[in-house]
Amino acid sequence: MLTIRIGNLTFASPVLTASGTFGYGDEVSDLVNVDLLGGIVTKSVTLHPREGNPPPRISETPFGMLNSIGLANVGVEKFCKEKLPKFKKMDTHVFVNIAGYAIGDYVETLERIEVEDSTISGYEINVSCPNVKKGGMQFGVDPKLTEQLTRALRDKTDKILILKLSPNVTKIEDIAQAAVAGGADMISAINTVVGMGIDIATRRPSLNTVFGGLSGPAIKPIALANIHKIYKSVSVPIIGIGGISSAKDAIEFMLAGADLVQVGTSNFINPAIGINIISELKSYCEKENIKSLHDIKGKLEYQ
Amino acid sequence: MHNELATIESNEQISSIYQQMVLSAPLIAKDCHPGQFINILPDPKWTHVMRRPMSIASQSNGKISIIYKVVGEGTSILNNLKPGDSLDIIGPLGNYWTDFDTDYPVLLAGGVGIAPILYLHDHLLIKKIPHHLIMGTRTKDEHFFKEKTNASIVLTTDDGSYGIRGSVINALDSIVSGKNSSVIFFACGPSPMLNAVNRFATDKNINCYLALETLMACGFGICQGCAIEITNNSAISQTYRNQYALVCADGPIFDGKDIPLC
Repeated sequence: MLTIRIGNLTFASPVLTASGTFGYGDEVSDLVNVDLLGGIVTKSVTLHPREGNPPPRISETPFGMLNSIGLANVGVEKFCKEKLPKFKKMDTHVFVNIAGYAIGDYVETLERIEVEDSTISGYEINVSCPNVKKGGMQFGVDPKLTEQLTRALRDKTDKILILKLSPNVTKIEDIAQAAVAGGADMISAINTVVGMGIDIATRRPSLNTVFGGLSGPAIKPIALANIHKIYKSVSVPIIGIGGISSAKDAIEFMLAGADLVQVGTSNFINPAIGINIISELKSYCEKENIKSLHDIKGKLEYQ
Repeated sequence: MHNELATIESNEQISSIYQQMVLSAPLIAKDCHPGQFINILPDPKWTHVMRRPMSIASQSNGKISIIYKVVGEGTSILNNLKPGDSLDIIGPLGNYWTDFDTDYPVLLAGGVGIAPILYLHDHLLIKKIPHHLIMGTRTKDEHFFKEKTNASIVLTTDDGSYGIRGSVINALDSIVSGKNSSVIFFACGPSPMLNAVNRFATDKNINCYLALETLMACGFGICQGCAIEITNNSAISQTYRNQYALVCADGPIFDGKDIPLC
């Protein structure tokens, strides 16, 4: 009932965990049986290890939070040695999220992982990183660059390639179409929304980097609008992300056009939230007599 | 690590500004150690999406307690909870104090930093390990410990209205110099106090373990939001980081030598 088939992949349920909110899946094994999830997306991996940004890195906002972690991660070499083998023990889809600062970074990182004998199902590409060769402009704001990056990665892997889009663009449809033109198998959206907080007592921004990424239930309406726009413009499968904390939220994303969903910030509140949503979805399907959740994809009814 | 729906046993004011909440949380109580913390969801409706990390102040018979001061929205919500209400908590989290057996322990607490220090104090009493406890507040009415003072429990106040005038540092000299054997510091409190304790320890070549506090989201190393700057990477469990440590996963207790003095 909750099984979703996409290409030659079968997802036991449509609920995955979002990059950066579930580590590498082994940290929370005390609290969560990851095998019950539809899949996990790893924390972003970069070519070289990254320390991350100076503190403060997080701040609470109404129904959400701002973060500016700075892609702190072990780097691809250590990732391949220490993290990749652990996925063999997991009976769920694992997608490795890759970030970079030049197309060559992304390609080199992916190629390094490709040479390993791993059980991963594919990659999710974070295009919300500044491109050092283009004056720091993010890859994901430029359709041409997005297509170029996608194609470069497509040439190097037969595994599933998911492009994770940023909402901080003028027209997300253009970026989604560019990703598909470049060979993306799926689109996931949205990444965090650019935001800022201020402490009036100190007159300082709440994050060291001034601007950060807003996530949590606060961004759900923004995410729904973007998913629906993407659904209207491309035909590849879509993963909805943004403030999902219940089966009701997940169903809203499916009605807007999503095939699968990722749960992000809610994992910090309840690491087992993904599992809870899965059991709620099952009850919903039984109650509404829904044979497959694919039947409600994009079934939004305009007034 | 457990995610427990704890039942509130009591939630009472214990001095002019401090509250103590006792929680029935058998799983966490069974596994916790002095210095560890729990991460509290203040509102089950998720109006506040970041849990509040708080040190465990006591542990016995399936119960734990926290000590807090109402400072913002999260602690206001906690303050309004009644006995019988439930509270979603994750714990026990972080590392904990060890090494009480060789050097003479001197426990130092400033303000609400008393919480983990009280737990350590209880632990040492049970293990019959002699030690000193120095607790500092701003004024007399903030102290909730007055009836317990004795030769090895010293209280200080910033304004001199009770005990020794000044900070916990003002009580340290006589205690440290009166000891023949070497001492070790275990401290928790506001940053200026921890910095002063760390400086005192560095000057006198005394081992010093500080429990630090930061904002956190997850509390177990995933979000990486609770980074602090460090001077020495021996504090870090994952060796790719040299400059920053995570208070939740690498701490909350750090060797004073790894924390920059300011």
